[in-house]
Formats: sequence, C-alpha cells, structure tokens
Amino acid sequence: MKKIVFLLLAVLCVSFLSGCEDKNKEGGKTAEKRKAEGVTGDALVISTLGDASGLIYNITSDSASHEVSQYIYNGLVKFDKNLNIIGDLAESWEISDDSKTITFKLKKNVKWHDGEPFTADDVEFTYKFMIDNSTPTSYDADFRLVTGFQVIDPYTVRISYAEPFAPALLSWSMAVIPKHLLEGKEAAKSSLMRSPVGTGMYRFKEWKSGESITLEANEDYFDGRPNLDRLIFRIIPDLNTTFMELLNGSVDIMGLTPTQWVKQTDTALFTNSYDKYTYLAPSYAYIGYNMKNPLFEDKRIRQALTYATPKQEIIDGILFGEGVPAHGPYKPGTLWYNDNVKKYEYSPEKAKQLLAEAGWADSDGDGILDKDGKQFSFTLMTNQGNSVRTKIAETVQQNWSKIGIKVEIRVLEWASFINEYIDKGKFDAVVMGWNIVQDPDPYDVWHSSKCGPKMLNFICYSNPEVDQLIDDGRHTMNPQERKKYYDRFQEILAEDQPYTFLYVPNALVALSKRFREVDPAPAGITYNLEEWYVPAGEQKYRFEK
Amino acid sequence: MARKRVINKAKGNILFLAGAAIVAFFVFVAVFAPLIATHDPAHIDFNSVLLPPSSVYYFGTDELGRDIFSRVVYGTRISLFVGFVAVGISVMIGTVLGLISGYFGGFTDMIVMRFVDIMLCFPSFFLILAVIAFLNPSVFNVMAVIGLTSWMGVTRLVRAEVMSVRTRDYITAARIQGISTAKILFKHIFPNVFTPIFITATLGIAGAILTESALSFLGLGVQPPVPSWGNILTAGKDNILFAWWLSFFPGIAIFITVLGYNLLGEGLRDVLDPKE
Repeated sequence: MKKIVFLLLAVLCVSFLSGCEDKNKEGGKTAEKRKAEGVTGDALVISTLGDASGLIYNITSDSASHEVSQYIYNGLVKFDKNLNIIGDLAESWEISDDSKTITFKLKKNVKWHDGEPFTADDVEFTYKFMIDNSTPTSYDADFRLVTGFQVIDPYTVRISYAEPFAPALLSWSMAVIPKHLLEGKEAAKSSLMRSPVGTGMYRFKEWKSGESITLEANEDYFDGRPNLDRLIFRIIPDLNTTFMELLNGSVDIMGLTPTQWVKQTDTALFTNSYDKYTYLAPSYAYIGYNMKNPLFEDKRIRQALTYATPKQEIIDGILFGEGVPAHGPYKPGTLWYNDNVKKYEYSPEKAKQLLAEAGWADSDGDGILDKDGKQFSFTLMTNQGNSVRTKIAETVQQNWSKIGIKVEIRVLEWASFINEYIDKGKFDAVVMGWNIVQDPDPYDVWHSSKCGPKMLNFICYSNPEVDQLIDDGRHTMNPQERKKYYDRFQEILAEDQPYTFLYVPNALVALSKRFREVDPAPAGITYNLEEWYVPAGEQKYRFEK
Repeated sequence: MARKRVINKAKGNILFLAGAAIVAFFVFVAVFAPLIATHDPAHIDFNSVLLPPSSVYYFGTDELGRDIFSRVVYGTRISLFVGFVAVGISVMIGTVLGLISGYFGGFTDMIVMRFVDIMLCFPSFFLILAVIAFLNPSVFNVMAVIGLTSWMGVTRLVRAEVMSVRTRDYITAARIQGISTAKILFKHIFPNVFTPIFITATLGIAGAILTESALSFLGLGVQPPVPSWGNILTAGKDNILFAWWLSFFPGIAIFITVLGYNLLGEGLRDVLDPKE
C-alpha cells in the first residue's frame, strides 16, 4: 500500500516497521499447525510517536495512521518477504500483451469485518473513490491514469490504461474500502475514520485518543487467523520515554535511536528480555538545495558542497556507524540501485577548487568567500524533534566554514517548516529525509512538473533529460529496460547534485524475546506478523474471548 | 549619611553579599569566557563523543564531542545577555507607562491599567511560545519577546510609587514654576521610584534567564551551534540515563545563577529599604 513517499515518516526518521504490507503466505501452514497446538494468544504492544489522524488508509498520509490501518485493510496485491508482488485480495491477475490492461480475479471467501461479503463492487467503489475530486487523498495520481474500469463478474475486474504504466500493478496495493458502508457518504467525516471496517487480519477494537489504539485478531480472516490476539499501539511522543517503557516491559517493539542502540542496550535488563534486529532501512537523509536560489544555480557549487560534506564521519559520529553512505535516491542492494555513479569522497581541496572555478574567492580576507561583493552565506534549515538532523546541520556547518562558506542554522517547528518555508519555496538549503518506496518511479520527487506548493519536488529540480527518463521509465513494463532509464537517471543526479545524499540508515529494532517466528527480510521485520506467536508458557496478556 | 548607612547595612547582609558574589562571578565568567574556556565551544570532534568529565574535559563532552565546560562558560554570556537586555526592555516600557499612568491619572491611567490587565490575562510562557513560533527562534527574538511580555509588573509598581509622590509639595512647586512635565517625570519623580525598579529588575533577570533556558530547551530559543544552557540541557535529556554530565552542569549553572539574582534582589530590598 505504501506507494507514495510519506513526508511524515521522513520526519520521524526512525523508520522501523518498514515494509508495511507484507503478510507472507508461505508460512500459512506452520501457522495453522501452531494454532492446533494452542499457541494463539498474547498481544504485541507497539509504540508510535504520534496519534493516528484517522483509520481510513486511503485518505490519511501520516505514518501513525498507516502503521495501524495497514493491518485493517488489504489491497488487491502486496509484497512477499523478498518484495515480489503477490496476490492479496486478488487470487490472480493477467496483464494483456500490450501491457495496457490488467484483469484481476478476486478471492471468493473474503468477508468484511461486519460480515458482508467482499466483491468486485468494492474494488470499483474504491477506484471511483480515489479519483473523486471531493476525496481528500494524496494517492490519486496513479488512479487517474486508468482509462477503463470494468466489473466483469462479482469476482473479476478489468482495468485499462491509455499506455503501458509500470507502477500500475503495484498501485492496486491501495487499501480496498467497503462500498456498503461508505457509498454516498463523506469519508473524512464518516464514523469509519474512528472505527474502521476492513478485510484485514486485525479488526478494530478500541481507540483512546492520544493514548492507544487496539486491534483484535480477525477470526474469519481469509488467510487464517493471526496468532497474536491483539495489536496494541501505544502513543508515546518521546523516544526516551518509549525506551524506558520498553525496559519496563510495557512496550514490546520500538525503533531505537543510534545512541540508545549503542550505549544503552548492553545491560542485563535489556539483553534478558529483548533482541536487537538491524537491517538497512528504506529511507535516506539528504541536504537539499533550493534550485531557484541563484547561489546554487551552478552545479559546481553543489558538487563542492558535497565534496565538503564528510558523509562517513557523519555516519560514524552521529549514527555510531549504523548506516551506509548514500549516493542516490535508491536503496543499496536493490535491483534499481546504480553503484556506478559519480561519488564524492570527502575532499575540501576539491571543493575549494570547484568554488574557485565558479568564481568564488575570499577577496577581502575575512575567511568567507565572496563574488561580486556578495558573501557566500546561506541558511540551513531543518525541523525540530529530530536531534540527528540538528547534529548533521551543526557538523556540515563546521565543515563548510572550513572552505569559506558561512552557514546559519535554523531549526523550525515541523508544521511551520513545511507550510511556511518548504511549500512556499522560502529556504536556501534543508536537511531532510525521504522514505524509499518499493516502486522505483521517481516522478513525484524529481519530475520538473512536480515543483509547486504541496508538491514533493520542492527544491524545483528541473532537467529535461531526467524528465524524459522518468516518463520513459513509467511507460516501460520490462524491469530490465526500466532499469536502464533509472540507471542513467541516477548518473545525472550524481552529476547534478541537487541533493547532497547523506546516508541510508540502519533500522534499529528492539523486540521482546517472547515473540517467535520473527524473521527480518528485505520487506522489513513485521512483514510476517501474522505468524509471530508466543509459546503458551511465556504469554503475558490474556483476553476474554 | 545615607550612603554610609547603606554600605554598612550591605556589609552585614548575608543574602546581599552571597547574591552579589554569585552574580559577580558569572559576570566575570561571561566577560572573560574566551580566557576561561579550554576548548572552542563549537568545535566538533567525533573522536571524543560523550566522554565523562576528566582533566581534559572538565565537564565531559556532548554527542558531537564538544567540550561541555567551554559550552557552559560561553552559555553564561547568552544567559546574562538575554537576562539583561530582556529586563532592560521590560523595565523601560514598564517605567515609562507607569510614570505616565501614575502621574496623569484619570482616563490615561484607566487606559494604561486596562492594557496591563489584558496583558496579564495571557499565560505569559504560552504567549512567549506562540510569538516565538510565529517570529522564528533567535537570540534577538527571545530577548525582545521576553522583554515585551514582562513589563506589566514594573508598570504597576512604578504607578503606585508615582501616585504616592505626585501630590507632594515639591512636585506641586515644580509644576507652579512651569517646569515641563517630562522634566518633572524624569528628574523629580523617577529618582524616587528608582529603588523599587532596581530591585524588581534584579529579580526579573532571574526570571528571564529561566525563560530563555526553557525556550532553548524546547528548541525555540538560541539556535545551534551557539551554546546556551537550555540547549545543552536538551542534549542531556536524550542521554540522561548514561551521560549525567550533559544535564548536570548546565542545570547547576542555571540553578546557581537564578539563585544568585534572587538573593541579590532580596538583599537589595533589605539594604535599600529606608525604613528601620
């Protein structure tokens, strides 16, 4: 489901529970066996930093809402543990030879949480809902490219596009919502925002605002009931408090900060009860330059800034080594990642040389470069509440001052940072992060048409060749051919340096030892959550049936 | 002689002496910060991250390997600077409004005092938070906002004092001689209200320092990498379980400074009180 890049998740940066939609099927049999042995029960207590804004997946975009609602709904397709697309509500699908039509066969034994059967009408309703102009969703773009939607029978739908659209199949991982409850109603004001009805493996139980959200196992789930009786999402707005709660046993899983991971987990209190899991997180941190600011117009300037940024030192010093340097917007080790791009090793000398070529020199001897009587100085902004970003800002400030660039840091409250500065283009440079989504289509963040208020190419990067490559990549179904476009795209980005790509961090997850069948994979750690179980003797929570 | 009496009283007043000593100490530290600090307070060194106090780093180091001792020393400057300027602003506004209100009375007084009442209605820290969020954080804004939201007490105090002296014979005499109102206010009335203003200001500095620390702690005050006691404490909060020195030293610095100004204020009140 997680198709669009979530701004908010990027804020939280500690992105654990990453690959959200993957409920693997292969383990279904073992799960059933375990059910027979009577190991269902217990609950997983998950911490989130913020309260959900609502529980209809399609019209919320904050990570807290999605973290909860991903278990309540299903899409037509989903990822397996290795990020292959597999059926979810769809039994199977067929893509026509010209790649313009997808025909989905739907599963027949699926029921909504209120007992109504799930049919093709719900899928059609979801499609119409997504393209309705009155629907407040950020995920409509992919669905607007659909040119024909046909319900062939209650369990078959055919969807056509004007031209081949590579992200098409994956776009149908969007949550399917119940027609019988939402038709003719205003979704954002519907009671389903607070007490949702889906088809997912957990059903909604209780929501205490600002405190917790509880889901309980869906006994009638088409893929078999999950082993854990409940998922309890506790809202704890501070990571230090969360960590204390974890040590206290009142939270079972959390994403640790690098400092917590390195300095606070070698106590018996921790190691007796918790396991640590680490894997490359699907996100990256970067410094973005406002391309509309004449200061950053010349690519040599941006290259110089990257040369003067000690990526490895930032990883070692601030992340305690828990990450790898980033050179582009894709995750290292995935199909789409191109390792053969220009890399900028830390070199203040090269930076100085490039700046000199671009005409910047310290002519008045004050230690700051100038050109045409203007000093090379700008403001580097970031958001509050993420001390890693502030530390990055302070580190690059020191490093850039060594090459004669004066930087002032401003740390702003998130809402005003986004609304007043990012959306209005009133910034010089920012330290931020993006989540790396599974589909490689970089349209939203890098296409020049996406520069504008509330759009994601907020730095207004514009390169006609990149635009062409992105367009070509979208309309090519063959992954190998697609990769060629994206490889070239990454080469150009590396040359242009509209961002200084900093690093891809490790997800640092602490999880209670009582959970079994935990198996981190490229899809994240919770992809097989329905198979997790707690042996009868170790169960902590009991619930009346 | 009055002056001699004051000095004698000061010598015997423990509160005053202790407060004055603490304040003098921190003023000294602020003025000579570059000589006292052992390291560059902004210098990042990833080879010495989160080290406990030692003979090299007296107060230990923070998450970026910066010397806490030097940061606390330089933070003294910010704290005192903000304290003095913010209180300066509030005393100026408060005094002028208080003089006008108390001297003219009647309708003018009503307007000024109602304005004071309105300002006092706002929970002051919340007001400061809201204004800073609007203006964006910086040392200048913090000083201005604290100053502009804390003058009401001074106004009331000055007004009360002025009302008690304005009907005295020497004021009437001055007025009869045709001396201008401004001159009467500042030359003849102001010296009479100076003492209470001075005491209030001293106590106000303590409050301003605390407010600045709180704002910086919340990330709304002084911007990094400038060290302020409040933002050193913020880093301390994230590491409090295993790096106590990050919270302890700036915390102690805030505590002692605020204590110092409070003692000094209380002491001054005793010393300058003409009764007894």
